Amino acid sequence: MTSKYEFEKKYREQILKCSRCGFCQAVCPVYGATLRPALNARGKMLILKEVMDGKIDLNDELIETMFQCTTCANCFHNCPSGVEVPDIIKEVRKDMVKVGSCHPAFKGMNEVLDKHSNIYAEDEPEDFERERNKQAEYVYFIGCVGSYREDESTMATLDLLDRLKVNYTLIDEVCCSGVLEDVGYKIKDHLATENIDLILKTGAMTVITGCPYCSRTFNNKPQYASLKEKGIKIIHITQFLQDFDFNVKTDKRVTYHAPCDLGRHCGIYEEPRNTIRKIATNFVEMPDNRENALCCGAGGGVRGAYAKNSIAMARRRLEQAEEVGAEVVLTECNSCVHNLANAKLRKQKFKIYNTTEFINELMEEAE
Amino acid sequence: MNKKIKQALIEIVGEENYTDSLIDMVSFSYDASEHSHRPACAVWAETADQVSEILKLSNRERIPVIPRGAGTGLSGMAVPIEGGIVLDLSRMNRIVKISIEDRLAVVQPGVVYADLEKALAPFGFLFPPDPASGTVSTLGGNVATNAGGLKGAKYGTTKDYVLGLQVVLPDGRIMRTGSKTMKSVSGYDMTKLFVGSEGTLGVVTEIILKINPKPTATSTALATFDSLEDTGRAINQIMHSGIIPSALEILGRETLAAINQNTDLNLPEVEAMLLAETDGYTQEETDYQIKKVIQNFEENNAKEVKQARTDKEVKDLWAARKSAYAVLARIKTHFVLEDVTVPMTKIAELLKGIQAISEKRHIRIATYGHAGDGNLHPQILYNGYDPEQVKRMEEASADLFKLAIDLDGTLTGEHGIGLSKASFMTLEHDPVAMDVMRHIKKMFDPNNILNPGKMGLEAAPGAVR
Repeated sequence: MTSKYEFEKKYREQILKCSRCGFCQAVCPVYGATLRPALNARGKMLILKEVMDGKIDLNDELIETMFQCTTCANCFHNCPSGVEVPDIIKEVRKDMVKVGSCHPAFKGMNEVLDKHSNIYAEDEPEDFERERNKQAEYVYFIGCVGSYREDESTMATLDLLDRLKVNYTLIDEVCCSGVLEDVGYKIKDHLATENIDLILKTGAMTVITGCPYCSRTFNNKPQYASLKEKGIKIIHITQFLQDFDFNVKTDKRVTYHAPCDLGRHCGIYEEPRNTIRKIATNFVEMPDNRENALCCGAGGGVRGAYAKNSIAMARRRLEQAEEVGAEVVLTECNSCVHNLANAKLRKQKFKIYNTTEFINELMEEAE
Repeated sequence: MNKKIKQALIEIVGEENYTDSLIDMVSFSYDASEHSHRPACAVWAETADQVSEILKLSNRERIPVIPRGAGTGLSGMAVPIEGGIVLDLSRMNRIVKISIEDRLAVVQPGVVYADLEKALAPFGFLFPPDPASGTVSTLGGNVATNAGGLKGAKYGTTKDYVLGLQVVLPDGRIMRTGSKTMKSVSGYDMTKLFVGSEGTLGVVTEIILKINPKPTATSTALATFDSLEDTGRAINQIMHSGIIPSALEILGRETLAAINQNTDLNLPEVEAMLLAETDGYTQEETDYQIKKVIQNFEENNAKEVKQARTDKEVKDLWAARKSAYAVLARIKTHFVLEDVTVPMTKIAELLKGIQAISEKRHIRIATYGHAGDGNLHPQILYNGYDPEQVKRMEEASADLFKLAIDLDGTLTGEHGIGLSKASFMTLEHDPVAMDVMRHIKKMFDPNNILNPGKMGLEAAPGAVR
C-alpha cells in the first residue's frame, strides 16, 4: 500500500498502537481547557487513523485539532502504548502545509521569518545596553520572546550574569527558527547560518540560551550540527547557574513551574530545583510536577493560534500555584513567563519570574 | 442533523455546546473498544434541565441519544452505533457536596474519578472501587457501567456505593431514586436498576455516593507457582482463611513472558504469579494479615515468596502487574480486553481453558486480573487489518464466553455488555430473564431512543452470534 502522506510512512504503526484507552485525556492541557475529546491525543490519533484508512483527507476541517497541540508531551509520557504523539503531530502539520491546509497564524509566522529576523517582525532590536559580538568565553543567546516580549526579565538575567562576573557576549542573534519545525515548516537555513557564524566569531566554546526551545534546536537539529562539530557546548541557563552560590535567601513561599521544553523534552528537572533550594528556604511543589507538570499552554504555536484556550491552560497551571499558597512562581522559559503572566488574575497575588530575574532581584535588594 | 433539530438543540445548550464538525464526529465515534460509528451531532449538557429538554426533543423526533462520559469503556457502550446525538456529560463536572459526617458525596456525572479522590483525600476518605482508568473515567460512566477495579474482592464495585441518583428518563421527566441514608428499603431499589444499565434506561445527572475512610497501612507480598492447580488452591484457601486481601492479583504465563520480552523486569517464567495486598490502620494489623496470606502461598507449593519491606520493594512487587496492560497494548496493533468472571473455585480451570483456546485458535491470549473476585482479563492480541486474525479473535472470544458460562461464570465482571458481548447475552440469561429485561427497557424507553443497539435488548430471543 502506498502512503499518500509522509506521516503515514513514518508513523503508521505508532498511530495504530493507540489503544483508545483515553489515558491521555487526563493530562492533555488542551482537553483540560476545553473538555473536547477531539482535541486530545486520542482524538487526534483516531482522526489520523481514519485518514490512513482513506475515510477522510487531510484538509482544512482538521486544522482546529492538528494545529491545536502544545506538543507538551504529557500524553506521550502517560501513554500505555508509548505513542510518540508530539512527533506525529509535527509530521502531520508538515503534510497539511503541503496540501495547503495550515493555520493562518503559522503560515504568517513562516512568511515573517522569510523577511525578518524574529517571529514578531520587529525591526528594532532591544540593545540591552551591552556591546555585542565581542570575543568572550560564553555567548548568551536570548531568543525571540526574551528579546521582544520579556525584555525586562532578560535585562535582569544579563545583570545577574554581570554580578556573577561571567565573561559573556550577546550577538546580533536572529530567530533560531526551530519553532517552524513544530508548525509545519522547516528551519530557515539562512537564519541558522547567520547564528552559527556569529557564534563562531566570538571564540566562545559554550552557548548559554535563555530559551529552552533554542537550546533544543541548537542541540538537536541538523541545521545547527556544525556548532557541536566544532566542539561548542549548548546549555540552558538553568544548567549554567547550578554551579554558583548566590549568598542570598528569601523566606517567601516559592514554587517552580517546569517548562515542557526543559522538563519532559530534555529531562532537566533537578538543576532548577537545586538552584532554587539554595535561595528559597520555603520551596513547595505544585501537585503536578516534574514529568507530570501541566503545560503553560504557550507551546506548539498554540499561544499565537488559539489565544483563548492558551490562556485557559495557563490559568489551570496558576490555580495549582494558588492551591499551594505560592508567593513566587519561578520558571525557566520566557514563553512560560509570558503566558502565565498574561493569564494571572488580579486576585492572585503571587509574582511570576524567570529564576534568574528573581535571583537578581534578591541580590539587588541585598546590596 | 437536519436544520430544524440542530436549531432546537442549539436553543437548548447554546452554540458553544453543539457540534457537528468532522473532528468531533470522528472522536465521538469511538470508545476504548474495537467498535466505531459516527453520530450525527453531539451536545455538551450542563444541567439536568438541558438533558431533559434534549431527551424530550429526541423522543418526539425518534433520534437516538448516546450518553457519554470519558469514553474509556471497553465494550462499545458509548459508540453511537445507530448514529444520533452524542450527549457528552463531561462538562457537568461539579462536586456538589461532600458530607463526611453523613459519609457521602454528591457529584455530577462528569466528575472524573481521580478528582473526587483528590477532593476526599484531605478528609482521609475515598470512594473505593478504584477503576484502572480512574485518572480519566467519569463517575457517571462508572455508574452506567457499574465499574469495578483492583479492590473488588474486599470493597466491591460501584453499585455497593451508590445511595441515590437523579435520572432523566427518555420522556424528559426528572426522577430521584434512593436517599442520602446509609440504609433504605423504601420501595423498589430503582437506584441499582440504573447502575450498570449502560445508558439504556435514563441519563444520570446526579449521584449520591457512600464514601469510606481510607486505610492508612498496607502490606504487600508476591508468590510464584509452577502449577495452575496450586495457584487456584492458594487463591481459594486465602479467600476462606478469614483474611480478605485488599488486592489479590494474578499474572499468567503468557503475560509474564510478554513483560519479560518488553521490559527489563526479569520475571520468573512460571505458570502464574500472585500478588497480594492487605490493608488496615496499623502495620501490625496488615502484617498479621499478609503473614496468613503467605502461609497459604507456602502451603500450596509456592515456588518463591517475597514480602515487601520498604516502599521501594512495594513498588517493585507491583511493577509487573502495573506494566501488564501497557506491555500487552504494544505487542500487536489491536487487542480485545475481556473480563470474564467465574466463581473463585474455578479460576484454575478458567486459566487452563484460556490456554487451550489460545492453542486451538492460534492466537495469543495473555491473562491477568483480579483473582480475589474471580475476575480475569484475558487480553487477545491480534492484527485488526488481517481478516484471518480478526476471525480467529472473534472465535476465541466466543469460546471464552462459552467457557466462562460453562464454569458458572459471567460474560463480564466489570466492563459491561455494550456492543462487544450483546450477541452473547442469551448465552448467560435464560429466555425469561431476557424477556423481563426487554420489558424493562420498553417501559422506560418505548421508542428505543436511549443508547439503542446495546446489551442485546433488541435481538431476536435466543439469537447467538
